[in-house]
Amino acid sequence: MAKTPQTPLSRAARLLDLVPYLNTHQGIGLEALSKEFNVTQTQLVADLTTLWMCGLPGYTPLELMDLSFDSGFVTIHNAETLSQPRALTDEEIISLLLGLDLIIDSLPEDREDLKTQALDLIQKLSQRGSVSSALRAVQSVPGTLRATIQNAVKGRTGLKMIYHSSYSDTVSERRVLPLELYENDGSEYLRAVCHSAHAIRNFRIDRIKTASDDSLTDFEKILIDEAPVAQTTYMIKTHSRNRTIMERFSIAKEEFKEELLTTSYSMEWIRRSVMSCSGDAELISPPQTRTDIARMAQSLLNRYLEQ
Amino acid sequence: MSRKIERLINLTIALLATKRYLTKSEIFRSVDGYEGAAEAKERMFERDKDDLRNLGVEIEVGSFDPVFEDEAGYRIKPEGYSLNLGEITGTQVALLSLAAEAWRGAALDDEAHRALNKLHSMGIESDMDALPIIAPRLFSTHSDFQVITHAISKRKRISFQYLNPELVAESRTLEPYAIATRNAHWYLSGWDVAKDALRTFRLDRIDGQIVTGKDENLYEIPKGFDVFDNLDVETPDKTTTIRIRKGKAQLLRSTALTTEDLGDWDLITLNYVDQFQLIDLILWHGEDVMVEKPENLRDEIISRLRQIVAIHG
Repeated sequence: MAKTPQTPLSRAARLLDLVPYLNTHQGIGLEALSKEFNVTQTQLVADLTTLWMCGLPGYTPLELMDLSFDSGFVTIHNAETLSQPRALTDEEIISLLLGLDLIIDSLPEDREDLKTQALDLIQKLSQRGSVSSALRAVQSVPGTLRATIQNAVKGRTGLKMIYHSSYSDTVSERRVLPLELYENDGSEYLRAVCHSAHAIRNFRIDRIKTASDDSLTDFEKILIDEAPVAQTTYMIKTHSRNRTIMERFSIAKEEFKEELLTTSYSMEWIRRSVMSCSGDAELISPPQTRTDIARMAQSLLNRYLEQ
Repeated sequence: MSRKIERLINLTIALLATKRYLTKSEIFRSVDGYEGAAEAKERMFERDKDDLRNLGVEIEVGSFDPVFEDEAGYRIKPEGYSLNLGEITGTQVALLSLAAEAWRGAALDDEAHRALNKLHSMGIESDMDALPIIAPRLFSTHSDFQVITHAISKRKRISFQYLNPELVAESRTLEPYAIATRNAHWYLSGWDVAKDALRTFRLDRIDGQIVTGKDENLYEIPKGFDVFDNLDVETPDKTTTIRIRKGKAQLLRSTALTTEDLGDWDLITLNYVDQFQLIDLILWHGEDVMVEKPENLRDEIISRLRQIVAIHG
């Protein structure tokens, strides 16, 4: 996680939140505490030192907070005024509400009990803030499927999965060794060594139908053979300026020109995408793919006309 | 910087601990850190009030003495200051942890993390074992995400440029109600002020920065509002019959209402909303899909194929 930038305000907020946390976690180690608050230990000690100077007006030792952390373990006393955790801000409530809605969507069907508990939380949180409960998040993959994949990535264990490739329009069983999960353009992908393809492949996880643990282990040999996957450079000429083309070919609005030179990992994808644009996009190169498109469109057209 | 922080903490403590309103002069006299000429102290105090307000700490202003029009007084009410979620179970703390975890690396990561600190401070053990192993995840790194959530919570208007289908940026002013995510897209719903109607926008189609208006509490969000209700207003009322090659066109197959086995091909029927999206999908599958019915859809496909042949021939 990125470290929050330091502003006097964010530090003041953290100090206010440290007190109630310490109150319920007396004797916590500096390391665990710095982890919980996502700050360095140096920063944490500076925070605690500042807190130590604060207290009720009067500011005699009797009124100041009594903090001790020299031993590496933190205790706090005489901090009753700030002992309650602060109310959640609207932004914090929004983050939790969206997260909870996503969880409800990810729960297995037989866990109605948890759904009820989550809905109860949503109701409580919506009452606290001035935000509506109408924040919705729908999971594009079942939560359990994602957990199986994530565990395999962490443990570097094999996965057996049924995958639908939209480029090649096939559904097949793949045995893979997961490497990492990553996000691109809002979709999540699994990068994995594919035993079936003998290469590293990227799988969009909402296209993974099922996944289960696999005992296959002889992946090392494949890794050695791996060469970088070549990208194809292609050029399209746009015959219409529209949003569909921009989004399909991932062009930034400023870079939308009549002729576009870009790259793709899959010739199949280029061919299908140009077909989908039905005349709004013309493939200029590679010439062979251009010829393929013309031939395929002609043959399909003939079949329609013969009927 | 440290002095300023100390002063903010001391002011919070003083205003929380007091049972009655404190006047400014009492605050300046008793709270450590207010120094300099009277005017400088005034300015300091005004800034501190704003700062605490930005941290979500509301300072209440009241009359020191209700009978006489006296100097205004200040205090922080503990019930407004502190977190109160009523009875919460260990399982619920675990659910909230998972909800916060879903934001890791995404737009509201920091907010979710801070919320979690506060929840942990309640001292209720999180019962992770009560949950099945699920790992939901939210993605959004949209730079204006916080701007939108802030506007929703403060009921402020926002203005932005939105790309229409012809790629022309149109100015929109919106009273935002809610945000939602589905199929890798984020949606923003609200009242479009110029159109005087409810509208839903895709975040990735917003062009440039979102500008937030100054005024707060300009509108009410309808009770039970759901972004998806407004996205799915059109029910698929048109039906088509198409022929698809065995084992092919999974995307179309998955929406089939009926499937008839024709040997090398299957004949399926399906409902659709948008003809252009359907054509897009049919052409994506090239020679593996043929439209049988209705006639006008067939004609449209034929005309598009002619165009493809014409420009690529």
